[in-house]
Amino acid sequence: MIRNTFIKEITELARDGRVKIAFFIVLVLLGISTWISSRQYNSTNQQYAEAKNAERSIWNNQGEKNPHSAAHYGTYAFKPKYPLSLIDQGVDKYAGTSIFLEAHNRNEAQFSQAADQTGLARFGDLTPDFILLFIIPLLIVLLGYNAFTKEREMRTLVLIKSQGIAPWKLVLGKWTALFLPILVIMALVIVGAGIILSNLEDFGVFRWSNLGILFLVYICYYIVFVNLVLIVSSKSKKSSISLVLSLAIWIIACFVAPKAASNFAETKHPYPTRQEFAANILKDKQEGLDGHDPWNKQAKLLEQEVLREYNVDSLHQLPFNFDAYRMQKGEEHNAEVYFKHYKYLKSQFEGQTKVYVGLATLSPFLPTRFLSMGVANTDYSTHWDFSDAAEDYRIRMQAFLNNDFAKNSSHGDWSYKAEEATWKKLPAFEYSPPQLAEILSRNSSNIIVLVAWLLGSFSFLFITIKLR
Amino acid sequence: MITTDNLTKQYGETIVLNQLNLNIGANEIYCLLGANGAGKTTTINLLLGFIKPTSGSAFINGLCVSEEYIKTKQYLAYIPENLMLYPTLTAVENLKYFSGIGGKNLSKSQSEDFLNEAGLQKNAFNSRISTFSKGMRQKVGISIALAKDAKSLLLDEPTSGLDPKSSNEFGQLLHKLKDNGVSILMATHDLFRAKDTGTHIGIMKNGQLRQEYATKDISLPELEQAYLEAMNYKEFVS
Amino acid sequence: MYRYNFLYEFKLLLRSGWMQILSLLLLGLFCFATINGNQKVLKRKQDIHSAKVEVKESDANMLSLLDSVENGMEVSASRWTIPSSPTAVGNYYPRVAAMDPQPLSFVSTGQSDLFTHYVKPTMAGDDFTLNFTEIISPVQQLFGSFDLAFVIVYLLPLIIIAFSYNILSAERESGSLKLLASQPISIHTWVLQKISLRFLLTLILTVIILTIVFVFLVSGNNFKGLFDVIITTAAYILFWFSLAFAVNLRVGDSSKNAIVLLGLWVVFVLLVPSVLNQLGNTLYPMPSRTLMINKMRNLKEEATEKQDEILDNFLRDHPEYALNDPNQSRQFYHRYMASQKLVKEKLEPVTLEFERQLERQQALVSKFRWLSPAIIAQESLNILSGTSTADYENYRKQVIGFAETWRNHLTPLLYNNEPFTSSKYGELPSFNYHPIRLKNNMIASLIIMIVSIGIGFVAYMIAFKGNVSKLIIS
Repeated sequence: MIRNTFIKEITELARDGRVKIAFFIVLVLLGISTWISSRQYNSTNQQYAEAKNAERSIWNNQGEKNPHSAAHYGTYAFKPKYPLSLIDQGVDKYAGTSIFLEAHNRNEAQFSQAADQTGLARFGDLTPDFILLFIIPLLIVLLGYNAFTKEREMRTLVLIKSQGIAPWKLVLGKWTALFLPILVIMALVIVGAGIILSNLEDFGVFRWSNLGILFLVYICYYIVFVNLVLIVSSKSKKSSISLVLSLAIWIIACFVAPKAASNFAETKHPYPTRQEFAANILKDKQEGLDGHDPWNKQAKLLEQEVLREYNVDSLHQLPFNFDAYRMQKGEEHNAEVYFKHYKYLKSQFEGQTKVYVGLATLSPFLPTRFLSMGVANTDYSTHWDFSDAAEDYRIRMQAFLNNDFAKNSSHGDWSYKAEEATWKKLPAFEYSPPQLAEILSRNSSNIIVLVAWLLGSFSFLFITIKLR
Repeated sequence: MITTDNLTKQYGETIVLNQLNLNIGANEIYCLLGANGAGKTTTINLLLGFIKPTSGSAFINGLCVSEEYIKTKQYLAYIPENLMLYPTLTAVENLKYFSGIGGKNLSKSQSEDFLNEAGLQKNAFNSRISTFSKGMRQKVGISIALAKDAKSLLLDEPTSGLDPKSSNEFGQLLHKLKDNGVSILMATHDLFRAKDTGTHIGIMKNGQLRQEYATKDISLPELEQAYLEAMNYKEFVS
Repeated sequence: MYRYNFLYEFKLLLRSGWMQILSLLLLGLFCFATINGNQKVLKRKQDIHSAKVEVKESDANMLSLLDSVENGMEVSASRWTIPSSPTAVGNYYPRVAAMDPQPLSFVSTGQSDLFTHYVKPTMAGDDFTLNFTEIISPVQQLFGSFDLAFVIVYLLPLIIIAFSYNILSAERESGSLKLLASQPISIHTWVLQKISLRFLLTLILTVIILTIVFVFLVSGNNFKGLFDVIITTAAYILFWFSLAFAVNLRVGDSSKNAIVLLGLWVVFVLLVPSVLNQLGNTLYPMPSRTLMINKMRNLKEEATEKQDEILDNFLRDHPEYALNDPNQSRQFYHRYMASQKLVKEKLEPVTLEFERQLERQQALVSKFRWLSPAIIAQESLNILSGTSTADYENYRKQVIGFAETWRNHLTPLLYNNEPFTSSKYGELPSFNYHPIRLKNNMIASLIIMIVSIGIGFVAYMIAFKGNVSKLIIS
């Protein structure tokens, strides 16, 4: 009976011109967007590789220099694009791509793509994630809104009932018929993306397991939509009412809830402005040790402490350059200040994340969006991770340079120049994004919410089903 | 007056109505009998101008329907098979609305007079249509026709689904209208009602008018015999 | 006839609860959106205000330090931050260059969540690394903001579609259409009357609610602004109603109508803008920012190597700076400012390329924006709100101009080794943001209205010439 229903539904769908057109349009859009994304992915990564090498050679070839000058001269950390950004671009467009690493200051990632685009960019991009997250649910609505209402309108429901089919079998047949085309599209997307990515030359590490998880996430999302649409269809009197209701669900889930959530999150856990943030950091920095300023109160204290420790009466008797030592201590103090302030920023971000998860109970779109970005390494957490890694590298870089300065010169000797070979000894900045297990554990609340949606909608569909 | 002149409707090769000639004068109730798909509803739709004839013409009050689409509507009233009105409006309001968009503004008491004339019980005048039975809705339909003072009335299966009592009341109403000089065309399956109410009877098959009778010249059993014969006509020939 | 159709249509809408739902829905959405938008504007004002207060405090501190220095007293501040040095003033006592919100900024968030609303350009800072972006969770930028523009551009058409997709088809499906069609009125006219009533109702409701929202939720009565927003919204509403009218007359049953209208919504609101954006990026791709950084680094590297030479050249070009300095004492900042200027000049073609590509993209967009009234509505609202790309570009240019003024004001003192004194405080330049003069958005709205009426008229004529039976008999 399930099979019969399934075959009948599939035949009906296949013979409906509208369905064919909608299907075709979705496939074409997916094809175009994947092609555009893969082109962008390639060119971005080429630029990334080029810039990274160029930057390293600039650093290596800066010539003889005082290590602290080199520290001020600084270097850049560039954020690469990860393979699955082909499918989900996530927040990449809004997050900066390069961080300047210099002495004394932690800098924010700069140059987001969105800041270089017209206002039109805010409408959204023609990317696979746009199709997967917005358009395919719409396709589900169009395919399934009249699954039950059409039977009611054509009075075939009475006939079906008179044949003595168990309601759940009828539902399962219809469910399968609605779900299968979506499964096929999704499988096409995933296999297509996998083939494109495994044929790309050595940009980033592509793993099928991540792609598989992405597949599962979207499939869950679509199942939730299939269930919702079928629930609405089975409860509505007329096809048109069912259509309008399903569309309302689609709009609330995909457009209204995320925007409202973003407003709630911002109001509840606001970020400081860039200038405020910088001013607060500056204030804290000034209260501590200033590496450049020997007259600074904290610097005087440090001086006395070191003199006592080495049991000498003047800085010149120390086995290292005290200027560099003080500089390093100042650097460590700054790092602490930054750590504190970024921790605050991060706690705001975590608070915002909680708001999103809380509101995800209103919209299956939210957990899907976050999981998809997470697995694709294009979410905000990955960006944080990258920026933390860059800061970590910056601290190590300053320590390396200050130590060189301290070891190879004596107090007051600002004319010391390290030889060119020194720069090469600083290991290059390498960053690898979080692994799948870590991503999943970080997104566990999103997984729970999505699974809750899945089970909840399934049980609601099958428990409340009554063929009126 | 309802007239058709060689009225023909073709969809591609299929002829659904073939050279129909009708002439229904005042004080006449013409009942069109025939199986499903015989062309009864097509005839009515052509008279209403909802569809355009392939050839021939339909006339209401001597005006050609396809030329004077809007004007002919002033002289005719129509009650479809399953008359649906606005469920959230009351009987009076429905009547006022339909008359109003036809250009005739009724006062409340005028509306009540027409509903009364159509036989609707008084306590239903100000109830919403959603509570009405089919017979009651049909009475509202008749009141619309009365309010319009239409000289031609088109009815499509008006008695299907009515209980015998309502059906009988409906027949009496039609008689009253007929006596006021209205030409009535009624498509029906109901031989008994046709014999009882009609002044003339036509039997259609495959888009063609096969037989015409005056009701006073034919008894009910004869009519039934004639109808069945007409239906089996083809088999006779072959 | 008109009177009856209007009166009874209104009654029907009231009794079916549609009017009540529509009013509450619109009121709720508009209020929520306005409160959100207003919150953002208030925060922006607050931020700018506190930045200005901070500058005032630091100025007071500067003046007291200057006073001490001028009276020959010892001061307890880092040597290089003492404001008697012009570079210290230039770097440690910057002015606030703020972009104040416009009266209508709450209407549309536009680009305001991407960019900062105040910066403090310093003397030593690079113009091209001046960071105009704001620290904000990119998730928020991705999701966008629930503002009035979103309600008007995205949601209002959907409400209109839900309100008018089945005007004719519902009558046909319920069976009352045949009775209607037997009345002496043309069905097209009847649909036109019904849909114009719904248009008028929606318009009146929107106007009333917008007025309520403007008067009660936002401080300061801005009736000119309200009028502008109403005109833009009215044109947009009219467009969707005329599409609904055409679809009602052309297409069959209710569900098909809804699907077709929704398809149009997806095309106009989602697809056309994103395809157009993609087209702009493909035709006029932005140069790579990462490669720009490389270039800048190389230039700086060269400049540092040749700092002395650069300074010599610079002083040769600007002999006035060398005149009053008998000691010719050259310090870090002398060289730095000179080489900075050189790097800036050399990098200009690269940075200009970014601006130029953005301008080209913008030109492409404004040419093709006529493809979708959603783009026009969004852009009009952005422009009214002062949150469009052009506004931020304008602000950026003004800030860079101000940074130049700031630098030029203090540079002569630096090269002449003249100290900064409290008497010079009053002459310090300050920044005043000049918003772009509002272009009239009436014309775009008027064109949309004319096009909408055109669509309605063509649909009406086609239906009039066509076979009426399609409408009545399904």
